Amino acid sequence: MSADDRIERSDDATTDDVVRLAIMRMFVDEGRPPAPNELASIVGIPQAEAEASLRRLADAHVIVLAPGTPLVWMANPFSALPTPFEVRRGDRRWWGNCIWDALGVLATISSDGEVRTSCPDCGEPLRLEVRDGQIGGDAAVVHYSTPAAKWWDDIGST
Amino acid sequence: MLLFRSEEDIERWSEMRGTPRGETMSVEQQWRLARAWFEDRLLPGYRRRTPEEVEAVFAGIGLTGPFWSLSARG
Repeated sequence: MSADDRIERSDDATTDDVVRLAIMRMFVDEGRPPAPNELASIVGIPQAEAEASLRRLADAHVIVLAPGTPLVWMANPFSALPTPFEVRRGDRRWWGNCIWDALGVLATISSDGEVRTSCPDCGEPLRLEVRDGQIGGDAAVVHYSTPAAKWWDDIGST
Repeated sequence: MLLFRSEEDIERWSEMRGTPRGETMSVEQQWRLARAWFEDRLLPGYRRRTPEEVEAVFAGIGLTGPFWSLSARG
């Protein structure tokens, strides 16, 4: 997916459906989200319409925009910015927003790969590996500090 | 959602931050949740789950109770 590629639009797809898919595909292919002008080109709409769609998707909690901008910060499981949750497949690299998302990157692309992070308490590097659809790697435990009902109160820190 | 080396690390980290300990799950459970949650993200027809659907996904991997309830907003 690049700004030169158009997304084919099915008859019942809304602009927001197509914009969301364009964001996800560019994250998968390039490890980054499209800028609003790239989205406009990919989807075949004016940039103002692309930005309006981004705002609607953010209001619906489908994506998160960088505060005060029309730029995609998160489209779960992907993060546009480096995080402590690095996902690798060969020489490809993505960033997840948390351990759930980091594994979610591999689930999204239906691929083997590895996740690298570190223990927030002791700082020890931790590595998980998905091979043939099975999870392995270092012994570790996942911790959720915030109850599910409050995740979107402050999604940036959740 | 963070990955810790052990339960002891979670205890120490929570104590140091002065925050209540939340819920834990195994790496295997987290992988199952990630797969159930994200398998449809590249499909054109993806839509956000309803709260009921979210709770059903959680329950499917054994995550039940107030912590995983979307109606337990307090």
